Amino acid sequence: MAVSIPLLGMVLLIYLLVVFYCGWLAYKKTKNVDDYMLAGRNVHPYILALSYGATFISTSAIIGFGGVSATLGMGLLWLVFMNIFVGIFIAFAIFGSRTRRIGARLGAITFPELLGKRFESRFIQGFSGALIGLFMPLYAGIVLIGGGRFIESALGINYDIAVLILIIIVAAYVITGGLLAVMYTDALQGSLMIGGMGILLVLTYMKLGGITEAHQALTDMAPLVPASLAAGGHMGWTTMPVFGSPIWWTMVSTIILGVGIGVLAQPQLAVRFMTVDSKRSLNRAVFVGGPFILLMAGVAYIVGALSNVYFLNERGMIALEAAGGNIDMIMPEYINNAMPELFVIIFMVTLLAAAMSTLSSQFHTMGTAIGHDLYREFLMKGKVGRTIPITKIGIAVTILISVILAYVLPISIIARATAIFFGLCAAAFLPMYTGALFWKRMTRQGAIASLLTGTFTSLFWLTFVHAKEAAPLGICNAIFGTDTLLSGTWTVVDPILIATPIAAIVAIGVSLFTEPPTDEHIDRCFGNKRD
Amino acid sequence: MIGIDDPFVWSAYVLCIISAIGCMVYGLLKWNEEDEEELE
Repeated sequence: MAVSIPLLGMVLLIYLLVVFYCGWLAYKKTKNVDDYMLAGRNVHPYILALSYGATFISTSAIIGFGGVSATLGMGLLWLVFMNIFVGIFIAFAIFGSRTRRIGARLGAITFPELLGKRFESRFIQGFSGALIGLFMPLYAGIVLIGGGRFIESALGINYDIAVLILIIIVAAYVITGGLLAVMYTDALQGSLMIGGMGILLVLTYMKLGGITEAHQALTDMAPLVPASLAAGGHMGWTTMPVFGSPIWWTMVSTIILGVGIGVLAQPQLAVRFMTVDSKRSLNRAVFVGGPFILLMAGVAYIVGALSNVYFLNERGMIALEAAGGNIDMIMPEYINNAMPELFVIIFMVTLLAAAMSTLSSQFHTMGTAIGHDLYREFLMKGKVGRTIPITKIGIAVTILISVILAYVLPISIIARATAIFFGLCAAAFLPMYTGALFWKRMTRQGAIASLLTGTFTSLFWLTFVHAKEAAPLGICNAIFGTDTLLSGTWTVVDPILIATPIAAIVAIGVSLFTEPPTDEHIDRCFGNKRD
Repeated sequence: MIGIDDPFVWSAYVLCIISAIGCMVYGLLKWNEEDEEELE
């Protein structure tokens, strides 16, 4: 790293002090279960929006997807559009307001509990909690690795110690301060991220001679697409890949639809809608959330793609080459070389903030899933009155699992963790969650069938068909002697596109053939005109 | 347009900005809208 370590150390120290101050403020304000689990249900819209956005956008969304954009091109901006339109607008204005209202009516304090109470089923709550407790550590593992690697390279600290430091800092404020601490620190981290990404965009366009000039230079680079990528359908960095080609399928099915729609059913995000006291707060949060995502994902993908122009001008090669073929190194390589030192430091803190804000929410969600949903509500049938201590133990246990996973699993699987988790959530939860909010006729049996079908179809597809997971997992190969059961285009179609529609059809079919929920229950969930 | 030839790519670029502005407009228009939902 080219930056001065003492200066970076000082900036980091100041940052951490402010983080701890936020955590301490939250700790002082946390007095009961609702505070710990749901931040007291009266969070400020600005804090809601930034906390949602900062949780949504992790370091890997900036570094990893920025690198993907540098490789595949600006077609990835469709994902940004999806993130804003689906991930913010539809999520807050349509899903959010109903989630908040039904959650408050039923007294739900976690996402699985909302689903469980809406369908009057402890099984749904327990199973959903277990699913989150089992698979979210994978997702937390990749964020942990990213954060650990960053501290290792920035401060020259041993990787194992870096991971340990990161965990202790985040765990300290999550365990003591609950969701309030998570959201306060998220808002601080989100504000830092706005500054860092905003400057990055302006400096990049200035360096490349202006907006249109920079894009034009990138367009003119089309003949430089490596033969291997061109064979997969890559036609240039400002052109969509060939329709139906492997790169087109990856871009459209996994990245744009998978991550773009999967966000709606993310437990750590959906729970945030229950933290505000009115629909008005959700609407105000949309005002901040839309531009926030544009500044995060939009800037990362635009700058990622444009780094090709910089590396061509400076070194006569494309970004992928300049980063030694490692997609994850493209953004760091670009920022270290193209940006002034002071900004490199600001950006490092930005990245650390992005990792910490995502991690803290993951820890909190996993802890509540294990401690509250699985243990207290499902296994103990709601009998144990000590929710908070059990949740704290749940947080500690799931953190431990995340760390172990981060060490044990091969990087080829961990690298797929975000996609696996998003896809699984979409298939398992999205049809049931949508039905819970918008379809009063949906039955408990329909919800359970959809949850199980979505979960197992998704797991089946990624173990036996989708090559990106099936090959590194090796289970299919061990059983059948072949990497994937199907061949051709099927192996590049993301599980989300298969499992989610099947789960939705099952939800509708089973609901129509089973006894509808009672009017009293529906009134309790949705309210009626008389009250 | 803006140095990008493929309409499927520049339209994504423009839509990102429009949707972000749209979010701001929506938030502003509904800034003080009361919760009619509690009355339902």
